[in-house]
Amino acid sequence: MIPTSWFLILSAILFTIGVCGFLTRKNGITMFMCIELMVNAANLTFVAYARQFHQLHGIIFVFFVMAIAAAEAAVGLAIFISLFHHRETIDVDEANLMRW
Amino acid sequence: MIELAVFFFFAAVAVIFALVVILHRNPVVGALSLVASFFALAVMYVLLEAPFLAALQVIVYAGAIMVLFLFVIMLLNLQHVGEPVTRPIQQFLGYAGSAFFGLALIYYIVKYTVLQLPPGPFLSDARAVGVALFEAYIFPFEMVSILLLAAIVGALLLSGRGGQAVAR
Repeated sequence: MIPTSWFLILSAILFTIGVCGFLTRKNGITMFMCIELMVNAANLTFVAYARQFHQLHGIIFVFFVMAIAAAEAAVGLAIFISLFHHRETIDVDEANLMRW
Repeated sequence: MIELAVFFFFAAVAVIFALVVILHRNPVVGALSLVASFFALAVMYVLLEAPFLAALQVIVYAGAIMVLFLFVIMLLNLQHVGEPVTRPIQQFLGYAGSAFFGLALIYYIVKYTVLQLPPGPFLSDARAVGVALFEAYIFPFEMVSILLLAAIVGALLLSGRGGQAVAR
């Protein structure tokens, strides 16, 4: 049996990669993919702890996170399509109408 | 022993393809790498005795969500658009900050999680998940269905012709 902490370390590495990409990239869709990466790292932690404590709640929570990630991806990509129609770019620095 | 080999191989696959996502300039390559990374995570779920979630990961994430990303990238014809270079200070702060964050996270995980796995098998197949979902979690399940409906309506309103007419 593989110890739980190894899965937690893998999850931490994936989450860190997601944070790094989100902070350093400017392409809106790539930033969105980094968010998906972070969500998946959190899911891995949920499943690892579900096995650790023999509880189904973690598994159920991953199910809900997947559904919410699907909704978030649909709305977010629609926002980027709308942004592209108006500004001809998906560079997030160009969307500065509400910036002070 | 074969379990360990599978774990390390697919952990390396997940991390390497995740690095490709954040380092490659072409978003199509990034999306396909993310699909590969999600497949490796599905293998992790199998190792964690959650085969139902592994199937969901492949069907929902790799099958549906990433295809949506690829559709949008192709629709907006982004694969030829060059990305402007990030400012060096942002680059440095991003890499340094996230490296510090990751090292701190790993340090505390190694320091504080010395958990013994309980004996006995853990049943989390489709039957057990379904029973829990439709008995204890029936209300959140219905809420998620309403949320998905709201997301569909919102996406249609934002991306369709109606959204432009409203905006003008």
